[in-house]
Amino acid sequence: MNDPGADIHALEHHEFLERVHSFEFWFQAVEGYLAGTTYGHRPETAESPMSEAERDRLVGVLCTYCVGETAALEGASGLIPIAPDRLAKIFLATQVADEGRHLEVLQHRMRRLGVTDVDGEVTRRASRSLVAFRVRLQGLVEARDWEAALLAQNVILESLEFAVFHHHAQRADAVTAEILGGIIKDERRHMGFGENVLGRRLVDAPHTRRRLQPIKRELDHLMLDTIEHTAGAIGVPLADRARLGRAYLESAARLGFLG
Amino acid sequence: MVDFLSAYSIQNWLESCPQGYLMNTNYGHGADETEPAFLLENEVLRADAIRSTVQLVVGERCALAASSGLIGAAPDEGSKRFLATQTLDEARHVEIFTHRLYDLGVPKEALEETIRQHANPNLVRFAEILLEKIDRKDFVAGVVGQNIVLEGMAFTVFEMMHALNEPMNPKFAHTLRGTIADERRHVGFGENRIGSLIKEHPEKKAEVERLQRDLSYFMLATFADAFRDTTALDELNRLGQGRLSTAYQGRDLGTMDTHEMESLLGATVLREFETRLGRIGIEYQSPARP
Repeated sequence: MNDPGADIHALEHHEFLERVHSFEFWFQAVEGYLAGTTYGHRPETAESPMSEAERDRLVGVLCTYCVGETAALEGASGLIPIAPDRLAKIFLATQVADEGRHLEVLQHRMRRLGVTDVDGEVTRRASRSLVAFRVRLQGLVEARDWEAALLAQNVILESLEFAVFHHHAQRADAVTAEILGGIIKDERRHMGFGENVLGRRLVDAPHTRRRLQPIKRELDHLMLDTIEHTAGAIGVPLADRARLGRAYLESAARLGFLG
Repeated sequence: MVDFLSAYSIQNWLESCPQGYLMNTNYGHGADETEPAFLLENEVLRADAIRSTVQLVVGERCALAASSGLIGAAPDEGSKRFLATQTLDEARHVEIFTHRLYDLGVPKEALEETIRQHANPNLVRFAEILLEKIDRKDFVAGVVGQNIVLEGMAFTVFEMMHALNEPMNPKFAHTLRGTIADERRHVGFGENRIGSLIKEHPEKKAEVERLQRDLSYFMLATFADAFRDTTALDELNRLGQGRLSTAYQGRDLGTMDTHEMESLLGATVLREFETRLGRIGIEYQSPARP
């Protein structure tokens, strides 16, 4: 059994990857925060009172989240065949299960809020920009462009979700906040993988950054537009919306992508 | 369809698999379970175990590529979510069988070379044919190839290996029990989902039947090679290790020679295919005998 108390950062790089990019590591991580939950929250968590307008706003936001999670599910699964090594494939398989879980808990939340035709609601109300992003991500995956698809999936999309969900969880009703809290913990792991793998690739092949820069700029527009679409509905004051956009941009900036 | 898919939700998977039969396991077995000394200390038996475990890794790598590839081709979100759990199951299988190779003494840096050296060409061809269908986003053919043929084969092979190992290698038998439980779920999904899709797309039947016949041929050829190449039974007899009586499909594997085992395994898999395919409205095609 892996010793949970051992400092994994003290391991040799390959040994670190063997440990961190494994089913066992995933299993131990999610056990910590999913044990005792049903569809992403504790069964005993009570529904907060919600007006009809608040309920409708929340449903609209969840529609956009569902598109993001579907894009992530399709993207992560599509990355597995083009991942360069076994450990990356296994990590991505854990991410596929995470993304599938996110989609399931968000759709379940929509049903609990009274939505009977979830697919129809998502089609009608989700952010158009995020729908466009989903198509673009799938194109990168189908072109077998590992670096660009990984940037789009594990850096750009995960950073957007992390920033938005983090803000939303602070203002959401209790059940939604618990659901988002679990998702955020997963997103942190996914972003770590993207930054680690892509960061090493950029060090080894600096020209890759130049190649990816225009793709990132193109996708940034879609992401910032999605933030704008979502921010009002999750109660982010106008003055704070720029901060939300910056939070999203900071992840990519850590990899040396500016603007 | 919605009701059937709710039985395959990620919530159910979390409760039955990671929080169920995998609890307290480490790479699929108990933390205190190890490969038996007689296996690790005998070069013939160890080499044979490495060769057979490599085939499991090759098969599971194919299953990982196939199940993840099917997500993008799935026509509905319920199927995508089930396939997400299957993708993780297959990755777990790749991981635990890879770790068995390490436990058998394969150095980490020699893993890929060991797999290249021992991978059965017929199994590799099987994987290529299946993955070609999935690359073309052919969901119906892909699910039949993956969840009925490949998983059905794996399920039966694992059951036989489990029966053989239970009396003398509890660690590997434990690992196999968890994978058998997973494969049962995958085969169940395949049967349930494809039945309705075949009704919607009757024009796919002939192609799917051909695929089953072609894949079955390469499966039987893999079995033939595996049983012809094995030297484990002779070595166990030489050592006087004594093969213990163990039941499989109403027969005692402890008294059978390799040719009889190959025949029993092939017949069992094909009979299962015939039953399962019949249930989803596909006519079983007998493969050529390798």
